[in-house]
Amino acid sequence: MKKKFAVLVLSLTALLFAVALSRPTIAQAAPHRIEVTVSKFNFAPAEITVKKGEPVVIVLKSADANHGLRFRDLNLDVKVNKGSTGELSFTPTKTGNFAGHCSVFCGSGHGGMTLTMHVVE
Amino acid sequence: MRRVLLALSAAGLLGLCGCKATPPGKMERSVVVAAKHRLFIGNRGQKNPQAATAKNIADGKEAFSHYCVVCHGMDGQSTGVPFIDRISPPIPSLASGEVQQYTDGQLKWVIDNGIWPSGMPGSKDILSDDEIWSIVLYLRNLPPAGSQGVPEMYTH
Repeated sequence: MKKKFAVLVLSLTALLFAVALSRPTIAQAAPHRIEVTVSKFNFAPAEITVKKGEPVVIVLKSADANHGLRFRDLNLDVKVNKGSTGELSFTPTKTGNFAGHCSVFCGSGHGGMTLTMHVVE
Repeated sequence: MRRVLLALSAAGLLGLCGCKATPPGKMERSVVVAAKHRLFIGNRGQKNPQAATAKNIADGKEAFSHYCVVCHGMDGQSTGVPFIDRISPPIPSLASGEVQQYTDGQLKWVIDNGIWPSGMPGSKDILSDDEIWSIVLYLRNLPPAGSQGVPEMYTH
């Protein structure tokens, strides 16, 4: 009798494990991808808005020369070669407006290149 | 009319003969330096928003290397600049008292606006504010003269 009971408990436990393992896992929310094209001497778009706590990927594409995008306040930086694409992945942890600048010297208008990122609740 | 033209041409030629780059005298230099420090260079009170960390100073060195090195050398002391003894007004060593006595705000102003008619160009919009402030940090923490070698464009 005891043996039968033990077998039953073990079978139920195994069944529960099997059911738990076979359930489809809830997929993590895909990061918010934002495509930004950089060229001499601007970012397009020049402003983006993201949500605090939501994973973001900025896909930076260079249209003409070597460029970069750096948010000094957030310690984020990505560099892209002429004609290539780079990604900046992060999750904003504080709200506010943050200015990103080109981080690779690219000529006479380099210092005026700004991408403003608004991080909202 | 012809006499007027002749006189003007002669005056112009004489003027051109006077266009020679000669170093300023001691008196001329001290007057100009005092005038720059006290009258012409603004922004005395602005503080550098960046802390003097190793990373920020390295950023300044990198930004300085874009084109400042053409006249100021890698070390800010004109090491390897081939025309350093032939330019007037002369380019001061950035480690000198003449430069180091400027406040941080004044150094930012000079990099933003340049100094007319010295040949020092303004860099506003060519460099970002972040880069310029980091250059100010680099100027406050210059390496020993000659320690950084010669700017790449003068090596071939």
